[in-house]
Amino acid sequence: MDNFGFLFAANAFVWGGIIYYVFTLKQRSRNLEKDLELLKETIDKESQ
Amino acid sequence: MDQDLEKEPDEESTVLIWLTGIVFFAAIAAIFIIVPTEKTEGPIQRIMYLHIPSAWLAFFAFFIVFISSILFLWKKEREWDIYAHASAEIGVVFCSLVLITGPIWAKPIWGTWWVWDARLTSTLILWLIYVAYLMLRSQTDAGSMRARYAAVLGIVGFLNIPFIHFSVLWWRTFHPQPKVISSEGFGKGMDTSMLATLGVSLCAFTLLYFLLMGQRIRLERLKDEVDRLKRQKLYSS
Repeated sequence: MDNFGFLFAANAFVWGGIIYYVFTLKQRSRNLEKDLELLKETIDKESQ
Repeated sequence: MDQDLEKEPDEESTVLIWLTGIVFFAAIAAIFIIVPTEKTEGPIQRIMYLHIPSAWLAFFAFFIVFISSILFLWKKEREWDIYAHASAEIGVVFCSLVLITGPIWAKPIWGTWWVWDARLTSTLILWLIYVAYLMLRSQTDAGSMRARYAAVLGIVGFLNIPFIHFSVLWWRTFHPQPKVISSEGFGKGMDTSMLATLGVSLCAFTLLYFLLMGQRIRLERLKDEVDRLKRQKLYSS
């Protein structure tokens, strides 16, 4: 019994899934950092 | 605003990233080069070195949800709610990987992708409970009521885990019996190199959990800060 295709598929899902999740975490983090910067700038301008 | 929210991961995170990377490299080398091929199942058995650690990580993550939810209900501190939310998301990701890799192993070994036996069905129920937990958190308005409902669901969901663990002992199931911790003793049913490979892989996944938790907690704190500034802007205008 070889079933290398199944072994490959399982590995692709696990490693692909982990990499994708880390990527989405980074992306969400970047978006929030941008929002934060924008909000801080707006508040600073309004307070001047 | 805290300075650590503004910048990328600090030195401690960098050490953890490197350590996780090194242990993962060792795990991959052990899985694909060092460990011998299992005689009955062949190379497909190597899926187990990813499937079991994914299950361990998911159960550990849900255990943290359970503990954090109890502490949140007790102390009413936002910090515990953050830990529970962060851990639940990570748990769902890895429980999904368990539910994907299991059927991929089952198809060539059992001849079918899925059977409705006690272990598989209870794991699917666990996954559905924590998906519902995340949906509850995303659908309801932010506030202490949402956090309280989520905490109750987080606690109830975890009660399924002992049932999942013992299901293969209480009923006749298709799912293999435990080999690492069995009635014969610790690791008695396994080859030493297979046990060591599984151990390294379990370490790698555990380190990955802490790495992801660090990132996910930071994300939640960033969200809180954005919400706080939005409220501040709204009241000042």
